[in-house]
Formats: sequence, C-alpha cells, structure tokens
Amino acid sequence: MLRHLTHATAALALSALPLFAQDLAAPEGDVILTVSGQIATTNVDNTAQFDLDMLEELDATTFETSTIWSEGTHTFQGVSLKVLADRLGITGETLRATAINDYAVDIPLTDAVEGGPIVAYKMDDATMSVRDKGPLWIVYPYDSDAAYRSEVIYSRSIWQLDRIEALD
Amino acid sequence: MGAIGLAGIVLLSSNVTRDLKLLNSASSDNVQWTLSQAEVEFLEFQMHLSESTTEPVPDLKVLRREFDIFYSRINTLGQASIYASLRDLPEFSRNLRIVQTFLDRSISAIDASDPDLILALPDLLERTNAVRPNVRKLANSGLNYFALDSDQRRSSISVTLTQLAAGVTFLMLVLVFLAAYLGRLNAQNVKRRAEAIEAGARMNIVTDTALDAVIVSDAQGRILVFNAAAEQMFGHKSEDAIGSDLGQLIVPDHHLAAHEAGMQRVRTGGPRNVVGKGRIKLEAKRANGDIFPVEFAIQAASTDEGEIFIAFLRDISQRVLSERELVVARDRALAGEKAKTDFLATMSHEIRTPLNGLLGNLTLLRDTRLSAKQARYIKNMDTSGKLLMSHISDVLDITKYDAGKLRLRPVVMNFSDLLQDIIDNQSGAALANDTTLEWGWTGDRTDWIRADRDRIQHILMNVIGNAVKFTRNGRVLVNTEVANDPAVGPILQITVSDTGIGMDANLQAQIFDDFMTGDSSYDRDVGGTGLGLGIAQRFVKALGGTITVESEKGKGSTFAIHLPIEPVAPPTAVQDQRATQANARPSDILLVEDNEINRVVAREMLLSAGHKVTEAHNGQIAVDLAQGHRFDLILMDISMPVLDGRGATRAIRTGTGASASTPIVALTANAMADEQEAFLSDGMNDILTKPLSREGLMRVIANQVVSGKQTSGAAGEGAGAVAFAYLDDLRDTLGVDALAKLLARYATEVADTIAYLQDHAHHTTEEIAQRAHRIAGSSAALGAVDLRAALIAVETAAKADDTAKMVQAIDQLPAVWSATRPQMSAERRGSTRES
Repeated sequence: MLRHLTHATAALALSALPLFAQDLAAPEGDVILTVSGQIATTNVDNTAQFDLDMLEELDATTFETSTIWSEGTHTFQGVSLKVLADRLGITGETLRATAINDYAVDIPLTDAVEGGPIVAYKMDDATMSVRDKGPLWIVYPYDSDAAYRSEVIYSRSIWQLDRIEALD
Repeated sequence: MGAIGLAGIVLLSSNVTRDLKLLNSASSDNVQWTLSQAEVEFLEFQMHLSESTTEPVPDLKVLRREFDIFYSRINTLGQASIYASLRDLPEFSRNLRIVQTFLDRSISAIDASDPDLILALPDLLERTNAVRPNVRKLANSGLNYFALDSDQRRSSISVTLTQLAAGVTFLMLVLVFLAAYLGRLNAQNVKRRAEAIEAGARMNIVTDTALDAVIVSDAQGRILVFNAAAEQMFGHKSEDAIGSDLGQLIVPDHHLAAHEAGMQRVRTGGPRNVVGKGRIKLEAKRANGDIFPVEFAIQAASTDEGEIFIAFLRDISQRVLSERELVVARDRALAGEKAKTDFLATMSHEIRTPLNGLLGNLTLLRDTRLSAKQARYIKNMDTSGKLLMSHISDVLDITKYDAGKLRLRPVVMNFSDLLQDIIDNQSGAALANDTTLEWGWTGDRTDWIRADRDRIQHILMNVIGNAVKFTRNGRVLVNTEVANDPAVGPILQITVSDTGIGMDANLQAQIFDDFMTGDSSYDRDVGGTGLGLGIAQRFVKALGGTITVESEKGKGSTFAIHLPIEPVAPPTAVQDQRATQANARPSDILLVEDNEINRVVAREMLLSAGHKVTEAHNGQIAVDLAQGHRFDLILMDISMPVLDGRGATRAIRTGTGASASTPIVALTANAMADEQEAFLSDGMNDILTKPLSREGLMRVIANQVVSGKQTSGAAGEGAGAVAFAYLDDLRDTLGVDALAKLLARYATEVADTIAYLQDHAHHTTEEIAQRAHRIAGSSAALGAVDLRAALIAVETAAKADDTAKMVQAIDQLPAVWSATRPQMSAERRGSTRES
C-alpha cells in the first residue's frame, strides 16, 4: 500500500516536475555517494549513484569557515544540499546520512536551504582522503550563522559520508 | 528599586542565556562519544588485522579503510580546536603522541602493495597490540576530563540559576512592594476623587444656598454659574443667564464701556482694578432695567479651561438707604447739639452780665448806711446771687468739657497755700455745723507744683465743701500725700474723709452723675444743682487723675482724688499778695466798659479804694485816651461796640502813646482758656473774671501797679521787688552776720542816695546819673531788682538831660524803696503761709 502510494507520488512528481526528471547518467568512476529512498531521479536501480565527476558537474558552492575539528579556517567546496535535493527531486522529510564506518545521522530536509550545508568534496582546493574525513563531508557554514554552532548541527556534520537515504 | 531589580534580572538572564547558548553550541560535539569511537575504531582495525593474519586471502581493502578511519579520528583529536584543552592534559597528549607515532610508522606498510602488506601484517599486529593500552588511556583520560569539565559547567549554571532565582525573588518582592504601593496610591486617588466630587457637590449646594448672588464667568465674560440668589437679585433665570454675556446681562448701560475696557485689560494681562481688590460698590441692572446699588468682590481662579472669575454680589439698596437716613439723622443731631451749645454759651453770657450788675450794686449797697436787718438781707441776696453765678459757671463748664473745649492752664503754684485758703474758706461753714475741719501732710510736703490751679481749686472746693455740708457735729479730715508711681511719676493723693451722713451703695454709684443731688432731707439745707461732683470728676479726668468714693450710710464718706503732678522748685521771687495789696498806692486807672451798671460798680469800687478813675465806654475811646495820657493801669472789657477790648489792647500796645506800656487787665465773663491765652498774646497782662469782686480788683491793681511787670496772668505767681536768689547766694557765701552788716550799709547808702537825688536841684545831671548808676549796681548785686530798675530810669533820664522825666523817676524811688526794704532781710525767710 505504502509502496503503491510511493510510486504514485513518484509518478506524479515525474509528470509534474519534468525539470527534475532529467536522467542521471550512470557513474563511470568509483561511486562515492549513493542516494536512495524518496527520490525522483535515479540512475542505478532505485538509487542515484555519484562519482566525483558527477558531483563536480552539479552547481558548486564554496565558502570559507572554521570548524571545531580543525585548526584555522578552511575553504570548502561542494554541492549544496539544496541543489542535490532539488536535482534528485527528494520528496521525503529527512535525509539519513551514513558514513563509511556506518555512523548515521538524520538531517531534516529543512536544513537544505540556500546558504546552508554543502556536501563538500574539496577542502582547500584538494580532494579529501578517508584519512582527512573524505571523500565527502557535510559542512555547514558555521561562521556565518550562530545557529550552525550547536551540538545538533555538529552531530549532523558527518564526514567520510558515502550514503544518503531520503525518508518520509 | 524596581529598576535596580529589573537590571539585575536582565543581567542574570543574559548570564543564563549565555550558559544555555554554551550548552546549545556544544563545542564538545559529544566528545565522549568521539573518544569512545576512537577506541571502537581502533578495536575494529585490530580485530580485522588479527583476522587478516590468519586468513589465507585477507580482505586488505577493508583493513585499509579501518586504518584510514582510525587515522582520521586520531588526526581529528590531534587537530580539532575543541580538543585543545584536552591536549593540554599531559596524560592525554602523551598517549596521543604514542598513537600518532604508531600510525605514522604504520602508513608505509598500509600504503604498500598487497603482497608487501601481507608480509608486514604480523609485525603490524604486534605493534597494534602494543599500542592498545595507549588508545585505552587516551579514551579514559579524555573521559575524566570531560566529566570534570561538565561538573564545573553544571555548577556554574547552578550558581547562575541560583543567582537568577535570588534575583527573581528580589524582583518579586519589589513587585509586591510596588503593587502594594500602587494599590495605596490608587486607594488615595479613589478617595481624592470621591472627595473632589463631594467637594464639588458641596460647593454647588453652598453656591445655591448662598445669600449673596454668585456669578462665575470666563475671561470672555460668558456666564458659567448663576446661582439662586443671583436669579432672585437680577430677575434672570439661571438657564437663560448661563452662556450669555455678563456685561449685557447685569451691567448698567452707563458702566458698560468701563466694564468692557476692564475685561479687555484682564484678557491682555493688564493691571486689575477690580479682581481680587476686596469689596467694591457699584451699580447693577435688573432684568426689568432697574438700576440698584451692589457691593461685590471678584476673585480669579485658574482652571483647565482657562481663567475664570467668581463674583459675589450683594444688593445693598436697603443699606444705602439706611446709611443715607443715618447721615441725615446724624447731621440733624449734630446741628441740634451745636445749637444747644451755642444756646448755653449765649444764655450763660446773657445771664452773667445782668447778674454782675446785681452783685456789684449789692456790694456798693453794703457800703452805705444800713440797718442790721437790711445788712442781713443784702448778705442773703449776695449769697444767692453768688450761688446763681456758680450754677451758671457749672453749666458752662460742663458744656465746655463735653464739647472738648476745656483747656488746662498749668501755672506754678503752692498747693499748701491753696488748700489752706480752701480750708479757711470752709472753716466758717464747718464751725456753723459744729464740725472740726483739719488738713495735713503725710510724708514729705510738696508745696510747689505746676498745675491748673483754678481747676484743682474747683475740685477741692467742691469735695471739701460737700464734706462740710453733709457733716454735723463731726470731723472732716483732708489728708495729702505724694506717692511716686514709677510709670506715671509723682501722684498727689488727696483724701477727704468725713463722719457725715454717708451714702448707700445706690447713691454712691450715681454720685458723680450730673444733676445728682444727695439726701433729699438735706436738700433744703444745702441745695445745689447736682452738677458739682460731675464737674469735679470731669476736671479730675481732664487733669489725668481719678476720683473715687467709699462711703457707709450713717458713718461718713471718703473721697480719694489722685492727680499726677509736676513738682517744681520754689520760684526765686515770692511776693505776698496781701502784702502788695497793702502797698498799693493810689493809682491813675482807665476803666473801659460798655455796660453802664458794671462800669458804675467798678468805678465805685476803685474810687472807694482811693484810686483815680477815667471812664471809657468803648475800645476806640480808650485808645484815644491812652494816646495822650499815661495811666497806671487800664481795666479793659472784652465785648464792646465800635472796637472790642482785644483790638483796643493791640492798638495801644503797637502805638507810641503815653500808655503804650501801661499794664492792661482784661475784664471778662468769658473764661475759656483758649480765649484767655489769646488775650495775653494780644498784650494784656492779666485777666479778671467777672463778676468783679473788691478783693480781685485790689489784688490785680496791687500786682500790676506796684510791680509794673507783666505776669503770666496766674494769680499765684507774682513778681517780686526782690530776687531772693542773690541774697541766698550772699548768705551762703558770707554767712548771716556779714550779710546783715552788708545790708545795713546798703540801706544807709540807699537812704543817703534818695536824699541826695531828691536834692537834685543842687547837682548836675551827670552827678545824678553817676550816683544812680552806683547804687543801681549795688541793688543788682543784692537782688533789689525794682529799686535797680527805678534807679536806672533816673540814670537814663539824667543822661538824656530830661529833667522832667528824671524828677518823675526820682519821685518813684521812696515808694519802691519802702516796698523793697522789708524784704531785704539777712535771715532766711520762711513761707508766710505755711501751717
């Protein structure tokens, strides 16, 4: 029942928002991010899988901020969570982000706003290795807004990210 | 206080907010979890490594990922700013360095090719096992730190919250206090408002029940309040009046311009002639157009709607009418009073003149040959006539006193002499009543005083006369004493006590009233107008004293008279009046009197005393006569046709006639003090009050003719032929014996000189002048002033070679010397009258 409804919704979303229904090409390099769940756009099975190039093709956002996990300020470059959600036609309310070591955190979709968090793939113009919290790190612009300097936000700043599931 | 509390709360709240923010921003990022996670990730790596060494084909990809994850964690612990304080812990940083060293050494093996990694696995496992306690310690030391840190933070929050609670409690208290205070204020306001409403209601009642009209207007003159009394007074209804113009409504047309000008002045802040200036009388207009007098007062008050004016008006028509009637009545009464006074004065004068004639003729008749019976009848007539005269004087005195015309004439007088005279005068009557009459001093005598002799005489005569009159077979005692009142000065206290019939309380209370007569049973005997004590009391008051009486019916009465007095030194020259009378020589007298009877009486008296009399029946004739002849004395009536006595006196004095310096004595029935002063200032020397008495006439002749000097007109003060001060001085200096010798030599010299001068035919005028001058000097030294004056007259005439005048002056000398000589005594003279 739920599945039917989900499909119906997905179909409705597809027909109503053709812009977001653009096909997503299949990844050619190593897959570094897999998005599943309530998404309108997919490429492999029911998921949207990205290699680094595909992420870099999306509109990039760059900002400079300090973090509590590093010394000094750093420049982060990545895909805004809002751009990613829009691109994939995410319809759920919550994004469950999971790290390589299976650390998981729930991020409400309301966090995905302009000037909000990004899925960073570069720090100081260099890609990040697993040893440097790579390959992907959800970074909020902590310096731009005190609201981003809370324990909840810090807990949502998941690094070594490799999966996102859009939940209702 | 509330503000302080509030500020405190704001501060504490900001602290709490800060603490909450600290909690919110949670820089720790669940650090404990991170530290545990580091150990978990190490254990996963160790477990996987351990498995890899035993398996034939180990999953190296997973192994490398586990390593990377652990590496990333340790890297974070080594770099993240939130762990900076953690890294300051020696235990933590030491273990962190060991673990980092382990990781750095392992990287080459992990990053090597698969076969090399497999070969290195046993060694890696061994080193991993070795570093495990360090990873453990790393986690634990961090945990301990954060436990302490969070304890500290909790206690800090606890302190802040406690402070906040205290602050809130304090603020609550402040608020409770403020609430109570505001509650009280509110209660007060409610009460005040109720009071204001009540006062307003009361004011309305007051205004409506006020007897005066109350009108309130604004600055424009529009009426705001018009009370019931105003309705009644002006005839306008309140509802019509309110809102209309004040001036149009009640101000009469002829005052309207002034009213408008006044309102305009008030509006423009000019001077206020009416507002707040108390009661003002003006006219107002009724609804029917009647104009009536009002009295009003206007006050200004400031209100929220601007300045208002409150006018209180009273209809004073009735009062004005009454006042007018009162004024008319008063004027009428005053006119009546004046007519009465004038009538009394005129009548007194008109009665006195014929009475003078009557009494004068009686005196003359007494000097003719009379039988004993006739003599007794004449005496009776004389007594009655004098009594009648004294009654008239009494009435006149009262009239004068009540009209405020009584003027005092204080003179230097000897009080003891005066009292002795009165006692002598009354002693006959006392003797007739078998009553002893005595007087005496208590304490020191005070003979010489300055006072109104005539008034005091009148008072004492009256009181003592009464005492004698009402006492039979008894005793009348007059006691005198001077007491010193510190406030007023010396007070002469005269007490007249008798053992007569006395008075009951009722009579005592009325005794000083006018027309009060005593016991009716005595009236037949003593008679009287009943004015005596009334006048005595008036005189006592006029002199500033008091008169009181104590009496017991059947036992007697005591009158106490207290008079303030002015003691004076005895005059330096004392002349005994009786003595001068004896020395009076036949004189050449001009008698000026228009009333024929009075003239005849006076003429006969003078002629019988041996004087030469020339008559004139008006002032002008007198002036003409005085021009060509030198009289020794002029007796001058005051009221006369053609030229009155005063005018004649002035003419004689200012002229150069023979009698320009002759003494002039006024004859008057009119004895008012101010007039007497006027007479003296006209140049008269003395005043003789009609009716003329032989004694008075002789006394004044003796005074004026012998002394030839002007007196103040006071009978008690005479000028002497001798100024005793010089003799007194000489006596003090030389002693009595030496003075006696000196006086004896002086007497011889004077006698010789008079003889020498009388022989003037044998001497030159120069010799005569020298001789006269020498003795005049001796006379001056010894105080023989009259003789000196006479000698200087001789000297002056001699020097002027006026033989006639010189001879005349020389002829005067024996008379002057005979008057002077008896007084030139070496012994201290005593008063001739002291008793």
